[in-house]
Amino acid sequence: MFLFLHRHFFSLLRIPSQFFPTFTSLTFSTTLSMADYQMLDDVDADDIPHAFLCCVCLDLLHKPIVLSCGHVSCFWCVHKSMNGFRESHCPICRRPYYHFPTICEMLHQLIMKIYPAAYKKRESQILEEERKIGLFSPQFDSLTCGSQADIKVEHLEESANGQLNTITKNDKVVAELILEENSEVVRSTSVESLNSLQDPCAQKPQNQEKISVADVLCRVCTQLLFRPVVLNCGHAFCESCINSQVETLECEVCQFLQPKGFPNVCLELDQFLKEQFPEEYSLRRDSVQLELELAKSIKHDNPTSCSNEEGKKGTDLPRWGEVASKVHCAVGCDSCGMYPIIGDRYKCKDCLEEVGFDLCGDCYNTRSKRPGRFNQQHRPEHKFQLVRPQMFRNMRLGVVTEMLEEGSTTFIIANDEGSDSSDDIGAILEFSSDARESDEDDSDVDGRTQTNDNRTDQNYSQPT
Amino acid sequence: MVGNRDHRPSLPLFSGGRSSSSTSLASPTSWASTTSVSASGKRIQREMTEFNLDPPSDCSAGPKGDNLYHWFATIFGPPGTPYEGGIFFLDIIFPSDYPFNPPKVVFKTRIYHCNVDSTGNVSLDILKDNWSPALTIAKVLIAVKSIFTNPNPYDPNAPGVAHLYLADRAKHDEIAAEWTLRFAK
Repeated sequence: MFLFLHRHFFSLLRIPSQFFPTFTSLTFSTTLSMADYQMLDDVDADDIPHAFLCCVCLDLLHKPIVLSCGHVSCFWCVHKSMNGFRESHCPICRRPYYHFPTICEMLHQLIMKIYPAAYKKRESQILEEERKIGLFSPQFDSLTCGSQADIKVEHLEESANGQLNTITKNDKVVAELILEENSEVVRSTSVESLNSLQDPCAQKPQNQEKISVADVLCRVCTQLLFRPVVLNCGHAFCESCINSQVETLECEVCQFLQPKGFPNVCLELDQFLKEQFPEEYSLRRDSVQLELELAKSIKHDNPTSCSNEEGKKGTDLPRWGEVASKVHCAVGCDSCGMYPIIGDRYKCKDCLEEVGFDLCGDCYNTRSKRPGRFNQQHRPEHKFQLVRPQMFRNMRLGVVTEMLEEGSTTFIIANDEGSDSSDDIGAILEFSSDARESDEDDSDVDGRTQTNDNRTDQNYSQPT
Repeated sequence: MVGNRDHRPSLPLFSGGRSSSSTSLASPTSWASTTSVSASGKRIQREMTEFNLDPPSDCSAGPKGDNLYHWFATIFGPPGTPYEGGIFFLDIIFPSDYPFNPPKVVFKTRIYHCNVDSTGNVSLDILKDNWSPALTIAKVLIAVKSIFTNPNPYDPNAPGVAHLYLADRAKHDEIAAEWTLRFAK
């Protein structure tokens, strides 16, 4: 019921936006010139093979993520196409998934080696965007590739990030200033490196020579990846090196448990390896087939197929039923990547980043030590607190904010949790005082198991 | 199954460009995403070049004036249908968080079709709940073209037309051909 109302609200609210053509054209005409500018230096986009193009941004893959269906996309493209309220679907095959996978570092290094210049350019563009939204994708320390100019750029970028990381805690403004300065330096140097790359000597063959079998090894058999499978933790293995018979799949490298289901072969990467290393690939194929014939016991149920039927088979998350009160909308677990978190949510009390650091119940209980998904400076000694789901409150807030914006007020919610602004909104809409009470305050890890249900019911009925 | 896209804390069409408002909406929850306008502009630019390189048959599309987010498209009525010989104009409006939300496709030419209402709105699943960020305008136009040949009277935007389509196909085709002659030539 609320669902319907919510949609209705949105549709109502969207209508007036049609009546501001002057405003839209104003904003968009400025962006057009910006996009024009960005397109000018994207000369090499056509040279990138299909395997390394992101299906969402149609650009070179940046910090690639391999979904469990085997399809690859950029870090931000996957994150933005995920749904914060229920299960997400692969943009290509619509196979449902719940967990935001970790970046595949092997693929990241591989693309960076093949297209150092284009990748650097993407990197600096994305860093700029990240700076705008104040959220940063994970950084890799071991960035090794290419010419000296590249190394210089890398070094500067690393130092920029390093400085940012150390200072974030103390003074965010200073950190941003430093980052701004450094990224400008980075940009100028990357331009230099680009210019130096425009030498008459052909660049492409050199790039192709840069990668070797050593870059694409399986971590189990230490041979060339054959029919690569990438787990949720971002580590790649041969399909035959993973025991598909076990109930709970565990990563051999990081011992991280794979959330339900055997992942599909990443066919794009497989095809690339086949073309890049034809001899090694056929050797591997022969040996794997021999092994399979010897073993004969293992039989895969055609794990490469990803039909639409499979996509539709996925169970819908029964949000509005019994788990409705357990879903933490638009909040993800920073360890396993479950998004949205269903069940218990533990929020770090000591992480100062706006994005926060959260763990799902399972990851909290297993004392997961993995770093945050958005470069948060989380430390093991930080304390957690149990947070109640805030679904109805969030939805209401979203609607209210839109209403306020439609009314062209300058009201901006800076920070939801514990700030005064949420109270103001409550007052504006004349909600009862307990409906707008901060959910966070009334629950601690060790603490009181307060019955939140009746309050949720109240919230539920308010907007109607 | 209700549309998943509608339940995200998505922005109204016009407000995505302002970073202050997008962060204010995103901040109540920790992982909520924001899309910068430059990223969507870049993607639309890429789609445009790709479309011009390999356009689908009987279709054309491109920005209207200098506004990248407002396109104009034409579809030729496929032969063998009552829409044969007609040229149908469509407006395509991209949201500022494209491709994470579907574009809005509206018929500008009047058409007698059970999936297009009197204001030109199209009922097409991929433009609503089944939208995927991997879809492009070329694919959307192919899908729109397919409803010329295969109308779906069970998910109608014009129930009267759908009823006639099911009850008296010949009469429906006759009216549709007449409308094509009157409005689309």
